[in-house]
Amino acid sequence: MKILLAEDEEDLRDVVTEYLRFQGYQVTPVCNGAEAFKAAKEDAFDAMVLDVMMPVMDGITAIKKIREIGNTSPAIFLTAKSQVEDRIEGLDAGADDYLTKPFSMEELSARLRALGRRKRDYRPRLLKFGNIELDMEQSELKAINTISLAQKEIRLLSYFIDHPDEEITAEDLIKEVWDKEQANNDMVMMYVSFLRGKLESVQANVMIECGEDQSYRIREL
Amino acid sequence: MDIYGTYRQTMDKVMQDLADRIRAGGNPSGHDKLYEHLSCRIKSDESAREKLRRKGLEESTENALLKLKDTIGLRIVCRFVDDVYECVRLIRELPGLRVVKEKDYIHDAKPNGYRSYHMVIEVTVDEEDVAGNNPGHYFAEIQLRTIAMDTWAALEHELKYKKDISNQEMIVRELRRCANDLAACDISMQTLRKLILS
Repeated sequence: MKILLAEDEEDLRDVVTEYLRFQGYQVTPVCNGAEAFKAAKEDAFDAMVLDVMMPVMDGITAIKKIREIGNTSPAIFLTAKSQVEDRIEGLDAGADDYLTKPFSMEELSARLRALGRRKRDYRPRLLKFGNIELDMEQSELKAINTISLAQKEIRLLSYFIDHPDEEITAEDLIKEVWDKEQANNDMVMMYVSFLRGKLESVQANVMIECGEDQSYRIREL
Repeated sequence: MDIYGTYRQTMDKVMQDLADRIRAGGNPSGHDKLYEHLSCRIKSDESAREKLRRKGLEESTENALLKLKDTIGLRIVCRFVDDVYECVRLIRELPGLRVVKEKDYIHDAKPNGYRSYHMVIEVTVDEEDVAGNNPGHYFAEIQLRTIAMDTWAALEHELKYKKDISNQEMIVRELRRCANDLAACDISMQTLRKLILS
């Protein structure tokens, strides 16, 4: 899971970064809202953690701008003030949750997990990559032709689209798509095979490559 | 006498001969059948005349045999998508016939969701044709599809003749969705077969 962290206090930024990395997250630390906006434009994050009070651009302005460009990744605010107005402004600007400083690392981690579970609710209903369109409302995959997809195939494909050209392990996919259900590498391989067949049948210019050691990668042809 | 006149007998012969040769090739000994069923028909006198009228052509034996390419029709229904293409290869290799036209509506589905593989072929036979050639040439159309595609086409065909349905647009949209569901099922089944066989 990729996390964008915007915090101007260097010590706190380092501690949170280290803690989240230790928890297995990939963290991109930045030191103000302007940098957060730039990073969110360039990369797809699974969640964002933003401080409210920051120089150059504050967290509330940053989240507004990030939402304006259609980015729907879940965001948590860190705020030194515990005023109600602050929280309301942050949530109305597009944040999904907040933590009041000082906060416990365990709580931040638990809130990130909770947002991760609810992530599907934040997703746009139409994803595009190459010449394909994934219409989540209609459960349809479209390119030259149109074909229906099963729920698991939709979750699988949307995860691939969110991580273009990245090597993704079967383990990542099991975590993302099967949650706590029984799943193994063979099942992942079978579902990836279903998707490959369907991508081919709609004449997609996109393919999912199977690497050695059970890893996969989506790319445009 | 129907619109095909004295050529009707030869058409039957061409159709039966073609069906027999495909049956022989589609049932390799020791292997699974390439197709589930094969049916054939000569276009009825009435629909041949109707089609000529629709095309603005005179209702003559010459036009029926030379302008209509589907007076002799064969339909091959397969279990898996790959088998459809295997049958297409088999037909292309049969001696004494020329493929005139092919349309792959599986690769490029029609906007309404219709999927099938269409071939128009010209068969050479030791009988006279309407142009006076001997050996003569006869056209036939072969439609190939999976069981799922066939089921869909059967229902769509019924709908075509019910023009007075009030919510036509909704039915057409849902029928297209069914075609996409069935196509998804075809691909999944094909993928499973490959996994089992590999």
